[in-house]
Amino acid sequence: MKNPSEEKKYMLDISQKEIEELRTTIRATSKKMTAEYIERMRKADKNRPEAMRYFDEIADFEKREKELLAAKESGKKVIGYMCLFAPIELILAADAIPVRVNSGWYDASKLGDRVVPVEVCPMVRSTIGAKMIGLSPYLELSDALISGLTCDGMTKLSEILSDYKPVWAMAVPRLKDSTQSLSFWREEMKTLMKQIEALTGNKITRSKLKSAIELTQRATKAFRRLQEIRKGNPVIMGRDAMLVNQAYMWDDIKRWTEKTEALCEALEERARQKSWACSPDTPRVMVTGTPMIWPDNWKVPSIIEEANPQGLLVADELCSSERLLYDPVGVDEWTMDDMLNAIAERYLMASTCPCFTSEDGNKDRVNWILNKVKEWKVNGVIYYVVRGCMLYAMEYMRVKKVLDRMSVPVYYLDTEYTREDVGPLKTRVEAFLEMLTARVDI
Amino acid sequence: MIMDFIGELLKLTVLAGLTVAGILVILIWKKNLATRVTYLRFLIQVAAMVSVFYLFTYPVWQFIVLIVILLLPLVLGRFFCGWLCPFGLYMDAITLIRKGFKVRYRNLPDKLNKFLHKFRYVLLLFFLVVPFILNVIDPPPAESLTLMALVLAGPFDAWRILLGPVIPLIVPWKGPLEISKIYFSYPYVQEVIYYSKLLSIEVFTTIMAWVFVALTIVGSFFLRRVWCRFCPTGSSIAIVNRFRGFKWAPLLHIYKDEVKCTKCGICKRVCPVQVTDVYEQAGGKITTSMCMLCMRCVEMCPYEDCLKVNFGGKTVFKSRNWLEPAKVE
Amino acid sequence: MITAGVDLGTQSVKVVILKHGQVLARSKAFSGFDPARAAEQAFGQALRQAGISSSDVLHVTATGSGMDLASNANSTVSMMSADAKAGVYLFPTARTVVDVGAEEARAVKCDDKGVMVDFVVNERCAAGAGTFIEAMARALEVKLEEMGPLSLKAERASSINASCVIFGESDVVSLIHRQEPKPEIARAIFDAMADRISPMMHRLGITPDVVLVGGVAKDVGFVASLKRKLGIELLIPEYPEYAGALGAALVAVNRVKKV
Repeated sequence: MKNPSEEKKYMLDISQKEIEELRTTIRATSKKMTAEYIERMRKADKNRPEAMRYFDEIADFEKREKELLAAKESGKKVIGYMCLFAPIELILAADAIPVRVNSGWYDASKLGDRVVPVEVCPMVRSTIGAKMIGLSPYLELSDALISGLTCDGMTKLSEILSDYKPVWAMAVPRLKDSTQSLSFWREEMKTLMKQIEALTGNKITRSKLKSAIELTQRATKAFRRLQEIRKGNPVIMGRDAMLVNQAYMWDDIKRWTEKTEALCEALEERARQKSWACSPDTPRVMVTGTPMIWPDNWKVPSIIEEANPQGLLVADELCSSERLLYDPVGVDEWTMDDMLNAIAERYLMASTCPCFTSEDGNKDRVNWILNKVKEWKVNGVIYYVVRGCMLYAMEYMRVKKVLDRMSVPVYYLDTEYTREDVGPLKTRVEAFLEMLTARVDI
Repeated sequence: MIMDFIGELLKLTVLAGLTVAGILVILIWKKNLATRVTYLRFLIQVAAMVSVFYLFTYPVWQFIVLIVILLLPLVLGRFFCGWLCPFGLYMDAITLIRKGFKVRYRNLPDKLNKFLHKFRYVLLLFFLVVPFILNVIDPPPAESLTLMALVLAGPFDAWRILLGPVIPLIVPWKGPLEISKIYFSYPYVQEVIYYSKLLSIEVFTTIMAWVFVALTIVGSFFLRRVWCRFCPTGSSIAIVNRFRGFKWAPLLHIYKDEVKCTKCGICKRVCPVQVTDVYEQAGGKITTSMCMLCMRCVEMCPYEDCLKVNFGGKTVFKSRNWLEPAKVE
Repeated sequence: MITAGVDLGTQSVKVVILKHGQVLARSKAFSGFDPARAAEQAFGQALRQAGISSSDVLHVTATGSGMDLASNANSTVSMMSADAKAGVYLFPTARTVVDVGAEEARAVKCDDKGVMVDFVVNERCAAGAGTFIEAMARALEVKLEEMGPLSLKAERASSINASCVIFGESDVVSLIHRQEPKPEIARAIFDAMADRISPMMHRLGITPDVVLVGGVAKDVGFVASLKRKLGIELLIPEYPEYAGALGAALVAVNRVKKV
């Protein structure tokens, strides 16, 4: 824990008045925008399942903020995380609440420019900006942050945020395949476990960890069920599914699982009735690349599904959506040791983050994209990158070459944390979708 | 004589029938092959041990069993080791006990494990040569040699070590330990005694036998399937699997779909004999001579169709999303 | 059958009227503040040129960045598809179409029927497009039309930064301060543009034949630079700036046939 009187390493002083003003305006803009997004999502699918209503509600951060406040008052701790390398199970086993704190606010990224240059990834800038003015309830409420040192942006972000809160950095080995990486990562897990235990004052016991793993396994089960449904004819719009997936980042996991199962139930019924969300001939699109974070950064999925010709998001390979939960923790023996190993492996080995490389490049990610393209019958891939996201941008050529060989069109869509470029983006996405439909009339 | 033989054959048929029936019951009960292979494997292991006990009632069967064990890998790879071997069953039982105590297992360093794997071929060669050395030291009447080989007698007694892991806990012959007319034995114990005698250290034979028993029990408490890493019997014709040109030979294989694998590492961790090839190899046929086809990796792989067990080109078992209950046909 | 294509570009609106696959009329108007009106004007002009009335036109397809503004359009098509269509119509052997317009440069790969199979667009910066030449001509105090011929007089090339219009301009100013001859600076400007466009094309993969269209294709200086950079021949139609409108009109033909 650091002394609050200590001088800030990175952050600039900003007057309380300015903070208040900025927070109010940005919140208001964002609220309007998200309300509009949800309204558009409702309109996009006439028979949108009633079960989606829950996710529309939880998409409003205020609801969850109140719950977290109440939980904190009852003595629970909230632990925030930035990358998917944070072991949720350990947080849960210590009776703490995990929330992901990455920011999607467009306007906050402009505030981040005061601390870091504009070339930096806008998600990092936006998170800095959000912290500056206390915009994100999750970031504000977390008692500590877990940061996976994946890309350069994340590494320095954790340093910058340590001006405010204890940040537990976990060094992610960039090579997965070596034995020393895994043993190193296991040690990181054990260290983190001790830190969590110290903060919460709760000991992580075998039975607690077991039930935490079982909880996330059930969540994974519901999650995979939803993705499985998306393999068939469209019964859910991609944006809706993305919102469901993303709600996992801040929602109560048990409740989320129940609601998702209920949604799957409704969707399966819908598939039996053959009431499709949009024409089954709609080109099936997959997005991969930089994470798209709710609330603001929702423009690309919206553009894809509202374009003319229309596209349907059937899958994605984003760490803000399908990479969250697809892999289960596979426990062989329910001993403390094996559970920890299983958790360590699930977070390190199963990840397809572009921060990894090997003798053969980041082959796991390429393979996983190929698998998704095949399994979800994807017609085209949109490779979404925000300016400053080096790892994804640099890996594009590799992915393109592989997809070209399979003659699956892929388009590199680059953008920023801004609303202003929706026009040009739309033109490009529409041209791409036009190409996918390969309509006879062209 | 002939009637006796027919009688034996009938009894064997009944035994085989019972085993098959048992398997079928389990299959129907579980409704799907894909659920919990481990349980099925335990059942088959027990059945195998009982049949081995029965077969050993007649010395002539020992040699046949040996030939079968040595030839089986040609067809099934090391299926025997994973599914039939009684010693394997004992070690699995000890693992179960360890799990009950919630004690963690240890792993051998990968390098040592791979060295032991190669070392087994040296052991195998050595034990195969022993009878001939003995033959030179103490030549028996030449005309009886073939018959002796057939019943594993005389100098060929040494070959019996290859049957070591197959020894049931209760033996139908005069075993090393007798409690109220029942003879108890343990894999390799008779061989330890035999070799100690050969090397004229008779005084310590019993102690050595006990030490061996203790070592393997403690060893398999901490290391899963510890003896399988030394066992020369298991390596036998799995030699064939080692050479690329012969990889096609066995009918039973594990296949991996490269694209479906995210390299999550579960297969590597759950393998009781620490085979790394399933994880490391890109895709295709990934069975190696180290793999004893226990199919634990296939059972635990969370990705649909990523790992498959093929028997003569037909998929008999494949990985699935085990979070979901198996579909009822 | 008479169809029309309207290309609402960032700087000007172009209209092409087709009759049985032959160009009947072309016209152009500056977009200005009211592109919709400009489009109407250009359309009316084209109708007068062709000597027909608007009811004779069976189908109007709009394209370009302002395509949604065209009030009389029956349908719209993306600029990339229109380029591909026009490129293959003009040169049947064309498989790559490069369109360098006022604000945007794009390269489209297409098949023998003019259906697009892949495309790239320059990343939001105008340094790879016509506006860049305009700004630089201003800095050099040369008329826009004279830039090309001027650059061809250069014996060797100076070099400037091609990342951005603004930085490019300051580079040009420093070249002026170093008293470099004007033709060489002019050539440097075109080289810088070609430097922006050629990597983009390499990423797409260059399949011959390559057609260059768009307003900037009329500039001899740029064409020479791009040819040098790519090391291949470029096919340039007679009216390169009308390619988008022509493609849209061709798409309109197909849409009429489909109905």
